[in-house]
Amino acid sequence: MSAAAILLPRIASTRRRWLRRYGLATLGGAIVLAWVLAALLAPWVLPHDPTFVNVANRLKPPSATHWFGTDALGRDVLARVVYGARVSLSVGMVVVLIGALFGTLLGAIAAYARGWAEEALMRATDLVFCFPPIILAMAIAAALGIGTVNTVIAMLVVWWPKFARLARSLVITQRSLEYVEAAQSVGYGPAHILLRQIMPNAVGPLIVLVTLDLGQAILVFAGLSFLGLGVVPPTPEWGAMVAEGRELVQQWWVATFPGLAILTVVMGFNFVGDGIRDWLDPHARTR
Amino acid sequence: MIRYVISRLVTAVVMVLLATLVVFLIANTVPGDPAMAALGDMQASDPVQVREFRAKWGLDLPLWEQYWMFLQRLAQGDLGISIASRRPVLDDIIDYAPATLELATIAFLLSLVIGLPLGIIAAVRRDSWIDHSARFISLVGVSAPTFWLAFIVLAIFYGWLDWAPGPGRLDPIAFPPERITGLLLIDTALIGDWETFHDALAHLVLPSIVLAASTLGLITRTTRAAMLDALNQDYVRVARAKGLLARVVVTGHALPNAMLPVVTLGGLAYANLLTGAVMTETVFSWPGLGRYTFRSAVAVDFPAIMAITAIVAAIFVLVNFLVDMSYAMLDPRVVKK
Amino acid sequence: MAHKDNSGFGRRPFVASTAGLLGAILAGARPANAQSAARRGTLVIGLDISDTLSLDPLRVFQYSNPLPTRAAYEGLVTYDPGDNITIKPALATEWAYLPDGKTVRFKLRQGVKFASGNPVTAEDVRFSFTRTLNVKDQPFQYISHVDSVNVVDEGTIDIVLKDPTLPLISIIATPAFGIQEKALVVANGGTDAPDAKEKDKATEWLNNNSAGAGPYRLTGWQRNQQIQMVRNTNYYRGAPGYDRVLIRHMSESAAQLLAIQRGDLDVAFNLIPEQLATLKGNPDIDVKGAISLDFIYMAVAEAPTNPALQNKFARQAIGHAIDFDGIIKNLAGGHAVRPVSFLPVGVNGSTEALTKEIGFNENLAKARELLAKAGMPGGFKFQLAYGNAVIAGVSYQNLAQKIQADLARVGITAELAPMDQVNLRTMFLGGKAEAVLTFWNPPAPENWLWSSATINRVAGRVQWKVPPEMRQLVADAGAERDLVKAAALYKKYQEGMVDAAHHFVLVQPVYQVAVRKSVSGLNLTAAGWMADLSAAKPI
Repeated sequence: MSAAAILLPRIASTRRRWLRRYGLATLGGAIVLAWVLAALLAPWVLPHDPTFVNVANRLKPPSATHWFGTDALGRDVLARVVYGARVSLSVGMVVVLIGALFGTLLGAIAAYARGWAEEALMRATDLVFCFPPIILAMAIAAALGIGTVNTVIAMLVVWWPKFARLARSLVITQRSLEYVEAAQSVGYGPAHILLRQIMPNAVGPLIVLVTLDLGQAILVFAGLSFLGLGVVPPTPEWGAMVAEGRELVQQWWVATFPGLAILTVVMGFNFVGDGIRDWLDPHARTR
Repeated sequence: MIRYVISRLVTAVVMVLLATLVVFLIANTVPGDPAMAALGDMQASDPVQVREFRAKWGLDLPLWEQYWMFLQRLAQGDLGISIASRRPVLDDIIDYAPATLELATIAFLLSLVIGLPLGIIAAVRRDSWIDHSARFISLVGVSAPTFWLAFIVLAIFYGWLDWAPGPGRLDPIAFPPERITGLLLIDTALIGDWETFHDALAHLVLPSIVLAASTLGLITRTTRAAMLDALNQDYVRVARAKGLLARVVVTGHALPNAMLPVVTLGGLAYANLLTGAVMTETVFSWPGLGRYTFRSAVAVDFPAIMAITAIVAAIFVLVNFLVDMSYAMLDPRVVKK
Repeated sequence: MAHKDNSGFGRRPFVASTAGLLGAILAGARPANAQSAARRGTLVIGLDISDTLSLDPLRVFQYSNPLPTRAAYEGLVTYDPGDNITIKPALATEWAYLPDGKTVRFKLRQGVKFASGNPVTAEDVRFSFTRTLNVKDQPFQYISHVDSVNVVDEGTIDIVLKDPTLPLISIIATPAFGIQEKALVVANGGTDAPDAKEKDKATEWLNNNSAGAGPYRLTGWQRNQQIQMVRNTNYYRGAPGYDRVLIRHMSESAAQLLAIQRGDLDVAFNLIPEQLATLKGNPDIDVKGAISLDFIYMAVAEAPTNPALQNKFARQAIGHAIDFDGIIKNLAGGHAVRPVSFLPVGVNGSTEALTKEIGFNENLAKARELLAKAGMPGGFKFQLAYGNAVIAGVSYQNLAQKIQADLARVGITAELAPMDQVNLRTMFLGGKAEAVLTFWNPPAPENWLWSSATINRVAGRVQWKVPPEMRQLVADAGAERDLVKAAALYKKYQEGMVDAAHHFVLVQPVYQVAVRKSVSGLNLTAAGWMADLSAAKPI
């Protein structure tokens, strides 16, 4: 048999297998990319201004001029949904990246140092875990006042512990391994060992969590906005838009489209995160 | 072992108290004055009346004294009197808790009944289309905002298709049963009022589906992952090599070991459901604790907020404690320091 | 490689059984409602009762609880639905001021019975008022100028005032002053002693039972769920039309809409304009309008933090830059009116024509002129605070954003500051706000209650140093018992309010209430208790 006859079916089946395994992840990546592009290009691409109030034009159903219809103040829903992506995506990134950085550092250092530092960290994270995240975030946002920055601060307080816990458990798995002992005996300082030797082995699950959490942060922020905390009007934000349209069952487009936006973005991040996790999973490679 | 149990117990109690302290401090930095919200327009404008109100509720005492009084009352089982509803917080909680308990329990059972089999099948027939559908469904469940899902579900199944009843626990003209436990399904069953039982059950369908959505996703994913893990273990290979039926291999060998992480996750998920029903309860006009919590937070109702925090923290800490205990019993390495 | 499925976990039977179970649960769970006799004899009202704190009349001052209180308790006087000016007899048949000027003598109607069957006596009247005066909850504030209530004889009662210039009769029509049955209240821990504030314990019982003479009797209240009432067969105007009245708590107007369309509700109070459009042409439902005496207004203070707001012309400019008609037509769906100032349309001295004549109206040129006069031709900035609420379908959030957009046209920048109710009230009542969007609902249709409020406690909130002429004007108007002369005085008062430019009344809602055609005789009223249930009956 020719080489082609042997290889071609194998290539086709490999691609099929890759698609099966990573099809969803690619889809997710495409969705996220689409949203990011939309958010960046918004001012140049959209025909309408998201904050232009025209009450005579309120609550018009989707049409050729307003693809997603208009809201209770006559503003274009499509424009508000796309601009809302800017707020949601930036808040999600800020909260998760800062939370991850801070939490991972704290968790890794405490785990490596052991002793009371580790205990203290565990208790601190336990304390935060006592609260359902939305309740704690609500309380802090209420205390600080309504506004994007305050809500981000509230969310950060709630967000760092899970990264600290994960970092800790990852470092624990690594810290008693031989290569760490070897490095210590050679005389490398703890900072070097932690950053250059341990963390690279641990980074995989952290990346998975960051990706999954981006979606989670967007959900929580939308939820807080839905409850009346979060952004200050007239800034468009998805959760707040769903709240505005909650009573308007007949004018379904006001609440449906922002909700769909949240759904697709979060799903996108979840697909990607799952895909990364699958890729890192040693068991998966063998099959 | 005993020492471990006691140390964890003490830690648990300290956690709960610390949680209440944290919330107390946060609540006190809120700029609003609960007296202003609770009094009528004329009373709130009269400084004398405001002062009286604050004195009556102990709002003008120094912070540590207020907190100390809270602790003393807590030790006696007195959760204080709500500023917003003017009656004991315990009464408020007893009023609203059963609704949430019922909803959360049904939602949890729903997510188990659907999520477990789905996760198991998805793992057993990995990468098949059913695996993909299961992953898709669970991801949608985890990704959809609860408040939006509630709106959509209500608009479609109640508003448009008229398949399900509307918001609330019972139909507007139904006679609610005598309150024995506050759980409608139990109360109606105990007195044999099957019509109202049916009504209550029907009203539970939509909100529990919405509430279960994210937990369903979580359970499906975790079960699938745990089963995949278990199925790849050596003992499973041995069992297969021995020629045992696939069904026996799955249920008798892989499943029991896969269940541990699922069970612990389940406990935490249930606790989460109990305390996270704010969105669902709001959209479905469900008179439960989630809505009560939100309204107390917004009204800066100190006694209510503190009491709810204590209870929520206690639930979480208890669940964590039980999880830790089960791990300790199964894996002795944990106990040794 | 995936292997053949002989694991015994078939998915098809699983899906089928789940669907079947759900179907079985949902089917037949919705009873055929309209036909049953029990359903026909019950009046089901959908109303947001989350603000109800008590059903003890002398503690009733919220928005939703006057409705059941009026149904359970009958007062000395009342207002007919639709008429907010003429006081009508109820448990009192006539009344007159005595020559000393500060005593009002009421002749009581004879032969009236409480729901319990016991007769209404003068002692019950005296007890009710004295209990209110001594327990000192919010309703007491409205009659704090009453000195005492005395029994003259079996059919006559005297109310003695401390200050004869202050009005009384219009105020006691409020359901909070409904007459309570002394024996029943005392038997359940009530008292009218001077220390009643501490010693009275009847509220808990009165929250679930009533002791009144109104058309219906309270039999239960489940917080945030429902209020149950049954017919009072002893009602002096004849037994009312329904066996039961159920007030169902529904905070979602979308839920109320769907419920009334299906016949689960007979009356829906909280629909918003967008949903009402859906009901047009519905053969089973009428939408009735009830002009109210409530209004949404923007209060602008001479805030120490904002020098621009200290300038009267700058504030007046605000008033002329707002698109009032657009707000009423579009945000309120056309179901609203607008008064000149703090006196709602429909009371003596306040009409829509007057608003066009002396009130604020949209006039951008005039606004710019005023800004120039104020020395700020480029406009100025101020902070507008509001809470997260919806009144009659108008959300403060939308209103604030609309105002922001309107004012931007002349260069005035309104920075929006949404906050929770507690914080808002603390700031506003503490005089720390620059501008606030808020709501006013009167306890009774008495002009003096509004005018005196504006020059006293509300003036403090907006830092208004009220000129003595204004104070005199308000006092004279309040004491003037001739309606025509009073109207003229109130016109002058409103002109003064417009000049001071501290209050901009935006929306006075005409509440749209959906009523199924199977209900007749349900009369809506603006007097404070929303609807008169005594004449309602099923068709």
